[in-house]
Amino acid sequence: MGAQSHSGVRAGGSRRIALTAIILAAATLAALAGAGCGKSAAGKTPVVFWQFSPLATVQPILDRFRAENPTLDVQVEQLTWQSGREKIVAAIAAGRPPDLCELGSTFLPGLVADSTLADLTDSTTDIRSALVGWDGVSYRGRAYAVPWMVGTRALYVNQDLFRRAGLDPQKPPATWDELYRAAHQIAERVPDAKGFGMNAGEREVLFKKFMPFAWGNGGDILDSTLTKSVINSRQNREALRFYLALKPYSLLERQEMHEQAFAKGRLGIIVSGPWLLRTLPKTAPDLRYTVALMPRPATGHGTPASFAGAEVLGIFRGSKHRAEALRLARFLVRPENTMPLFLATGNAFPAAASAAADSYFTTHPLDRVFLEQLRYAVSPPLHPKWVEIEEIVNGELEEAIYGTKRPEQALADADARITQVLSPKP
Amino acid sequence: MRAGRPSVGLLPWGICFAVFGLFPLLYALLLSFQDMNPLRPDASHFVGLANYAHALGSPSFWHALRTTVVFVVGTLPVTLVLAYGVAALLGRIRRAQSFFRAAIFFPATLSMVVVSLVFKSLYAEDGLMNGWLAASDLARVHWLQDPRLALPSIMAMDIWASVGYYAILLLAGRKTLPVEQLEAARLEGLTAWQVERRIVLPHLQPVILFVVLLNTIRSFQVFIEVFVLTRGGPLESTLTLVYHLYERAFYHFEMGYACAIAYLLLALVGVVLLIQRRVLRSAEVAA
Repeated sequence: MGAQSHSGVRAGGSRRIALTAIILAAATLAALAGAGCGKSAAGKTPVVFWQFSPLATVQPILDRFRAENPTLDVQVEQLTWQSGREKIVAAIAAGRPPDLCELGSTFLPGLVADSTLADLTDSTTDIRSALVGWDGVSYRGRAYAVPWMVGTRALYVNQDLFRRAGLDPQKPPATWDELYRAAHQIAERVPDAKGFGMNAGEREVLFKKFMPFAWGNGGDILDSTLTKSVINSRQNREALRFYLALKPYSLLERQEMHEQAFAKGRLGIIVSGPWLLRTLPKTAPDLRYTVALMPRPATGHGTPASFAGAEVLGIFRGSKHRAEALRLARFLVRPENTMPLFLATGNAFPAAASAAADSYFTTHPLDRVFLEQLRYAVSPPLHPKWVEIEEIVNGELEEAIYGTKRPEQALADADARITQVLSPKP
Repeated sequence: MRAGRPSVGLLPWGICFAVFGLFPLLYALLLSFQDMNPLRPDASHFVGLANYAHALGSPSFWHALRTTVVFVVGTLPVTLVLAYGVAALLGRIRRAQSFFRAAIFFPATLSMVVVSLVFKSLYAEDGLMNGWLAASDLARVHWLQDPRLALPSIMAMDIWASVGYYAILLLAGRKTLPVEQLEAARLEGLTAWQVERRIVLPHLQPVILFVVLLNTIRSFQVFIEVFVLTRGGPLESTLTLVYHLYERAFYHFEMGYACAIAYLLLALVGVVLLIQRRVLRSAEVAA
């Protein structure tokens, strides 16, 4: 009995300690949770901003914003490309999204489809002409984000391999025929070299790689009303047949391997973005290469189309400080704030139209090619079902590339499946 | 006094487990009965067993399950046999024991992301593997681009990464072998193979059971390797169940459906573990 009461006293003491620990933990969690909402410590209105650039790059820009807006407290956080998407989704699900968020244009359709983003059309009318890239953020005439940085892909050409293959290194391929001939000659005449980089083993990028040829030939995935599939068009079939004709002379690999092979001088032509302009001087200082517009179907026919991607600024409907977030977004897209970002990362160009006049582009002609390419770049449609449509297109293209389906069959199957996705559910 | 302290000591772990383990587990079970889009949590609604029915009627689910089972069946026995062999060799080494044990265990200390990135380079068109093939006058192989080779390539990497860990567990088991028993066996003139089969193997049964169960759970959950190396491709040849549920959750925003897949996987792993346990226990009794 004595032992019982003795242990009972001790157990009671333990329970008190346990209770104290739980209360302390709860208080800590409450304090942490409270830190993220309402007014911040100094009585300023907090604006939570999530973005992907290194903090050292955006911090000076945000410091200028803070100086201009002393009543706002910008709380910036850097996301990673590996897990940013999951973090954003989790924050929305938890009902605590950031006020302003950088979003990749390929992530946008899903968000618009679920009405997660605030409609910014009426509050951005005055800056519409100052920015490019509105196509990629608009659905049925309404804008759901503000274009911040825009990017595209162009043709990189190894001039040494051109010379060794008997081609003119000063004349990059401008048409499909010229591209085919160049890829063929390099693969045939230069030992251990391939002519063209064809993406394989990464299904998720295939539509971005193939559609430029289709767009350039007048093809598309959906019609202009976004209600009907047009993927099985004559233009798309021609484009896919041409694309697959390059396969025997191509390196079938993932994009990063294409870029490595190009840097090593083993690949004649690849389609890539401006980031390669920053890395090649370091990884392959002796490589002689140039950048050109994507080839058009034939001289005087079609366009040198490419894929248009963008980093955009979105405001979630759940944001507690929408007006302040919009003020920050409008500040960030100014050319004087986007040029430092471009110069620091070099991956995408300012959406601010006037940035093209910056003196940087007169001294960097290869970057200027990308600005020119942007004029012909096409954004995927901001359709609510785009995630499913893109998956279908990628899957069928992969079948065609691996030869498990003929190109005509792949496009016909894609058409049937997209039509099914677009048809209203009973 | 002694009864009180452990519970207090376990409290931090208990709180963490409740918040980060038990709550998500139960919440996921709840979600598996809902049509839940994480972007529109307010529009969630109860759908009963519809998500489970959807999964069981989906060709993608069965394809992913088949791929996962191939992965488990392909890696589990090979890993076990290799780990057993490595443990036996490590037990016989008399010089530089620490070095060899550390070297064998080293892959287990690496994050699977790091291992996958290293193998991504090794498997590249002009990577080390193809370099060796070229040096031997053999044709280059598209390790991760060929639909027939992508899954075996990932399985080989996974075996390499996990053999060391299990070998050390088995080696620890070998160290508990009674010396007198081994001496008696030698005096009776048993060969090394007979000693291994009649004394060592029965003695290691509990450790083997543990290794098999642990490896089974881990293999059914294969995700990072696929995420880093192939993203389920080419031609969905490496689309495993966890990668499939990840795509449904974070690309298609079908969180309820993804949770249903997770619970189907949990049930499957549970059944497999029960069968394995029963089979290995009966083998232990028979021995």
